[in-house]
Amino acid sequence: MRKYVLFTCAIAVVLGLLFCHSRIVHEDAEAPAPVVQGIDTVPMLVTQVQKCAKLYTAEYRVHKIITHDDVLRLKGSVLQRDFNIKVPLGDRKIAIPMDAKLKAYIDFSQFSEKNIERQGDKITILLPDPKVTMTSSKIDQKNVRQYVALTRANFSDAELANYQQQGRAAIIADIPRLGILETAQANAAKVLVPMLKEMGYEEKNITVAFRKQYGANDILQLIRDEE
Amino acid sequence: MKILTYIKIGLTVIVIVLLIVGFFWLKNLTKNDHIDFGPDEEIGITPTQIQSIKAIGEWEFLSVSAEELVDTTRRRLIMKDELARIYYGTLRLGVDMHQVNPGWIKASGDSITMTLPAISLLDKDFIDEARTKPFYESGSWTATDREALYKKAYRMMTQHCLTKENLQAAEANGQEQFTNMLQSMGYKHVKVTFQK
Repeated sequence: MRKYVLFTCAIAVVLGLLFCHSRIVHEDAEAPAPVVQGIDTVPMLVTQVQKCAKLYTAEYRVHKIITHDDVLRLKGSVLQRDFNIKVPLGDRKIAIPMDAKLKAYIDFSQFSEKNIERQGDKITILLPDPKVTMTSSKIDQKNVRQYVALTRANFSDAELANYQQQGRAAIIADIPRLGILETAQANAAKVLVPMLKEMGYEEKNITVAFRKQYGANDILQLIRDEE
Repeated sequence: MKILTYIKIGLTVIVIVLLIVGFFWLKNLTKNDHIDFGPDEEIGITPTQIQSIKAIGEWEFLSVSAEELVDTTRRRLIMKDELARIYYGTLRLGVDMHQVNPGWIKASGDSITMTLPAISLLDKDFIDEARTKPFYESGSWTATDREALYKKAYRMMTQHCLTKENLQAAEANGQEQFTNMLQSMGYKHVKVTFQK
């Protein structure tokens, strides 16, 4: 009799648990489905239109090869002894050639009477500081070379983009060494002097001047990175 | 018998002390221990080579910065590979001063007439591919696939940004900028037109 009561109780408990569980599941099923935020795969366009008055006077085409030697390493320190071991068959190597176009320009948006001095037939134009910007960059996809060991995965798109962005930053860092501002200053006269000659000024009476001769230290303030 | 007990207790104490000292010595010795396993992250870069230097004379009157989300898919037997990237570019609209016609400026007294070349896209290379951001990738993609995406982004940017409205806006701004500049040079009657 006692066994029978215990058995009945056990069945009741099991049935109770099953009922509760099914209820919970049922309630979950009845709950409103959460709104899933879909990802729009339709190409998205964001544009920013800006009026300006810039005279580009110098264009440099530059080339750089970004390399990455991706070696799997086991490194650390045990009992105050450092170790750095190259894991065999874990190499990945990539070389990404890239071309970029740098342009120097003079911003005429603030150009006014203050920039012009006239004395009789003579005219002096004092130009604003030239600036440099990277106008485009192109990865030479056809000549990208890579080696991936059997034990490693291919380079992902995120990894490639990271290396390319580092290469881009390296080109911008090299701008002071390229001498683009000096070229821009010299070329500005080549554009403006013919224009002033057409206006009736004689070449000997035209002076195109800048605030100063720019050096490598100045250029850091004159680089415009659109990123 | 008592001495033996004392020796046993003494030895036990010595062993315990040695164990404690050993534990702390080992703990101190291994406090900076670590083991890392992973790839190198730094890149190597060759020196920047100048391929060409060109004297240009391009007046930019409107800059249109664009970003395009471009994706491509490839169906496999049971799965679908996808690659989506965000490309950035700036289309510069203005005039190329190397294309001016002879006699493009006519000045007499305080009047001046200037005929500029037609407004156009100043540089066909306008995508900054090295700025591209990866958005999503599944499956394996080649350099050829990425080149195709670049071309698609190029087409889309040209289509969206090189519009009649933007060309007209560039022309209007160019007219305004040149008028201001010529007026600041002392000309009272200024007429700026563009070739069609």
